[in-house]
Amino acid sequence: MSEITYIDAIHAALSEAMAEDPSVFLYGQDIGKFGGAFKATKGLQEKYPERVLDAPISEDAMAGMAIGAAIEGARPVLEMQFADFSSVAFNQIINQAATHFYRTGVPVPMTVRLPSGGTPGSGPFHSQSMESLYAHYPGLVVVTPATVADAYSMLLDSIKMDDPVMYCEHKFLYRWLKSKDFQGDRLPIGKARVTRAGKHATVVTYSAMVHEAVRAAEMLHAEGGWEIEVVDLRSVKPMDTDTIIASVARTGRLLALGEAFPWGGVTAEVVARVSAEAFHLLDAPPVRFNARDTPIPFHPNLWAAHRPTPESIAQELRKLLNY
Amino acid sequence: MGNITDASQVNANDFDRDHVRKVFRSMQTARILENKLASLYRAGKIVGGVYLGKGQEAVSASLASCLTRGKDIFAPLIRDQAGRTAFGEEILDCTRTYLGSVAGPMRGRDGNIHRGRPAEGMPAMISHLGAAISLVSGMLLAKRIKGELDGVVGATCIGDGCTSTGAFHEGLNTAAVEKLPLVLTIANNQYAYSTPNERQFVCQDLVDKAIGYGVPGYSVDGTDMLACIKVMKDAADRARAGGGAQLIVASMLRLTGHGEHDDGSYVDSNLRNSGLGRDSIEVGKSQLVEYGFATTEEIESWATEATEVVQEAVATAQKESAPDPYQDDWAAFSNPANIDFHN
Amino acid sequence: MPKVPILMPQLGESIAEATIMRLNIALGDTVVPDQEVIEVETNKATMGVTALCVGEVVEILVAEGVSYAVGSVLGVLEVTQEELDRTGEKAIDEVSAGVNGAPAEDVPKSGDDPEANLHFKTEDGGYHEPKRVEPSVQGLPVPTGKGGAHYISPRMRARMTELGLRAADISAITGSGAGGRVTVEDLESFLEHIQSWPRTKASPMRLAVADAMRRSWTRPLATVARPLVMDRILDHRRGQTPKPGPALYLLRALAIALAENPTTAGYLIGENVVHPRAFDIGVAVQVDDGVLVPIIRNADTKTLNELVADYNELVELARARKLPSDATQHGIATVTNFGTFGLTWGTPIPLPNETLILGLSAGVKKPVWSEQTGTFIPVTEAEIDLTFDHRVVDGGGAGMLLNRISELLQSPEQL
Repeated sequence: MSEITYIDAIHAALSEAMAEDPSVFLYGQDIGKFGGAFKATKGLQEKYPERVLDAPISEDAMAGMAIGAAIEGARPVLEMQFADFSSVAFNQIINQAATHFYRTGVPVPMTVRLPSGGTPGSGPFHSQSMESLYAHYPGLVVVTPATVADAYSMLLDSIKMDDPVMYCEHKFLYRWLKSKDFQGDRLPIGKARVTRAGKHATVVTYSAMVHEAVRAAEMLHAEGGWEIEVVDLRSVKPMDTDTIIASVARTGRLLALGEAFPWGGVTAEVVARVSAEAFHLLDAPPVRFNARDTPIPFHPNLWAAHRPTPESIAQELRKLLNY
Repeated sequence: MGNITDASQVNANDFDRDHVRKVFRSMQTARILENKLASLYRAGKIVGGVYLGKGQEAVSASLASCLTRGKDIFAPLIRDQAGRTAFGEEILDCTRTYLGSVAGPMRGRDGNIHRGRPAEGMPAMISHLGAAISLVSGMLLAKRIKGELDGVVGATCIGDGCTSTGAFHEGLNTAAVEKLPLVLTIANNQYAYSTPNERQFVCQDLVDKAIGYGVPGYSVDGTDMLACIKVMKDAADRARAGGGAQLIVASMLRLTGHGEHDDGSYVDSNLRNSGLGRDSIEVGKSQLVEYGFATTEEIESWATEATEVVQEAVATAQKESAPDPYQDDWAAFSNPANIDFHN
Repeated sequence: MPKVPILMPQLGESIAEATIMRLNIALGDTVVPDQEVIEVETNKATMGVTALCVGEVVEILVAEGVSYAVGSVLGVLEVTQEELDRTGEKAIDEVSAGVNGAPAEDVPKSGDDPEANLHFKTEDGGYHEPKRVEPSVQGLPVPTGKGGAHYISPRMRARMTELGLRAADISAITGSGAGGRVTVEDLESFLEHIQSWPRTKASPMRLAVADAMRRSWTRPLATVARPLVMDRILDHRRGQTPKPGPALYLLRALAIALAENPTTAGYLIGENVVHPRAFDIGVAVQVDDGVLVPIIRNADTKTLNELVADYNELVELARARKLPSDATQHGIATVTNFGTFGLTWGTPIPLPNETLILGLSAGVKKPVWSEQTGTFIPVTEAEIDLTFDHRVVDGGGAGMLLNRISELLQSPEQL
């Protein structure tokens, strides 16, 4: 049986959603005949010429179109060529889509696909992680699948969701991550998963960093028998606080890990929740570990030192375990 | 590509009597309602701003009168009370939203002109100018995907200031690319808040922009009710017949401040005294009588009727409950499972 | 007739007040809806304040040229009830219910702070109680034990570590935190309070004993005692060379008694009582500024004679502070002869890793009635005190142990 990649799973979910529901349509730059910058929509326009539309380089208008279509009962799936470019559509997303249900009672069943995160050589404008920004705004669901099965099932669930979903797919995982199939446990959006059980410390993370955390945990296990628990948030909003706290109750130590910039954001939210709601479960000060507080550098040497790596995560864990 | 129509000549025989009367009654009702809103504001009854469409009634009402509620889409901006009324918005939706009644369409969650009924084809505007251009286009796109676009038009209004935004450019260009039946109306009322046109753009005429986007453009005197009716109908018909996006530029002067907190003292008095400064309602009244669409007595009785309707809508809204923070569900998501904070 | 206020409107988002420029009305005037009754000026614009219904001006509360805050009542109209119904205007006593006038009975009452009401409805449609200032910990209770160990917050723990304090050191402080916990502020004010008091530096030995006793004291310890007639021991001792100390007699008797019933010296870990593997018993030796406890190994299998040489050597080494470190480890119980200080009773504390400690007081001569001779005869009597971990042993078990020891000590030649 051939192996299925993360991008294959995204393609399969898009294809399945379009086959199931004629109100689903895809909109984005270069997604038609070309099949998208990452080939997530390859061949779909041939199958559904009316429902796979190439957009002009107008992220604001693309988002506005998707929101309008969603209000009118369609289920648009918007592809931002890179998550970085969604900043141009920020106004439509946070002011129009996010506020719409609360203001009018009419939901906006839109999915925005955000090819996120760093790959070597991508530089400052093709590497960003936007999940913390969007999660800040009431009214947006923000999901960050880390596995092939989650990429598939969470995209299907996002498209079916009546609320606007920011689907953050990690570019590094597109072809690097492979699986025999994409039928996983189909946990719903809003539930975290304990990816690796442990008892000495908890790493709460999401997206590609789940894999880096597991590698760090393996290093520490080989090094000193440490058993590190890794919690994959899966969706950063809503955030599954119960699963996080249950893990901290087991381990007493918390490392919140993310690839985004360090000021505020998802890891700060995790630490804030644990500190406020599980203060007495902490046997050591909770630790946050993120990318550095600079733009994302181009050169692989700098890039590798900008974001958390298994080695640097292991080093943070050693400090945490020694507290 | 981009032919420009200048509607300076009208022929009374070209008009449908009921349509003209409907346009004028919407204009008149809007004016009476807006005068009452101003009065309520100055009596301290309205929290937040009051934004009026005085001077723009003909443009707004003539545009929306071409649309059918339940089929077409109308996305009003801040000076479109007349268009809202023409599209069929209840006066109560207005008074309830302005006065913060929980029974209104926005339930106290949004106020004044930020109201709508998107499920019935009338989106609730956000404050960010130009955002509705692509929004309406998207609504039309959805209708196309569902096979329901045939004979449908989507219309939205913007001002001269909005033409400076990126959203205007992206939105109009995208609608043109998709050949969507969008009627985009620019009410060029000479000021964006206090900024005069010469600080907003330097093109000779905003309608020239139509050429750049490859869409038909129309220029009309926004104070001339019959001219507006003609142009709007032409543009809407053309869009309905598959002619793609249409751009209308209607010129007039804003006959009020930006909002009721602003007395508009910066407005050039030469403009007030020019043709742009004419009141489209006064123009409309004379046109009705001159061309026999209505008598002076009829117009008076419509005014009395509208005054009563407005007074009743104000009274009803005032008697209703304000939103109660204990009763609001505080849900920004339609799916309860997405609610993250349960504090 | 109902009265309706004329209010200073909010004329612009950042305007807090406006100046009265002109009063267009006088007392007794009748006003009509939308009539501009008062002209006001802000730094942005001049505006007319309107009336919204037909009414008679019965009060004017402002003067021209003076500024008034937004929301001020500028004047009062007297209005018919029919006009109120027609316009939806509110009479003056209703206006205070809010801008839009929710019915007064729907407004929850919560004291003076309007913010206190901003909370959510309950499932059954009722209201939550107005929020009071509460500890920030939500959902899970703070694990403070009023009768036991204090909860020490991460911040408190850090400050105590900085100061070299242990949990027991803060037992003197009355806590003002959640569940009576001692807050960092409580600690700081206590330290300030004792700052000028005289003090000496504690020796390492003192700190080691303190640490052991503090740890031991986390358990529920109880002490029982009984008299012990010493004459036979003293007689036996006089015939021995070298002479065993009185504590060694106790140590040997304790070892025999525990070997007969080992659970008495068991150690409670979780849900198990862990039994002693060997009957290694310590003896407390007072040294300068502290106590050392050398351990006599396998005291149940060696006779008193066999033990005495080891015992004497260990005691000497202890007094000379030359005990090897392994000589004080892994005992199961301790014997202490506090009688050497003339003390007649005590409640000794076992080491933290032991369940029992047996104390011997000073012997005193007492007259005891002899049925045999029909007279009082003098005997030497001491008290033996047993402190035990009440989680493991009860008063009855402790009493039986003491009785058995007493019995064994009446035949010292068999020890």
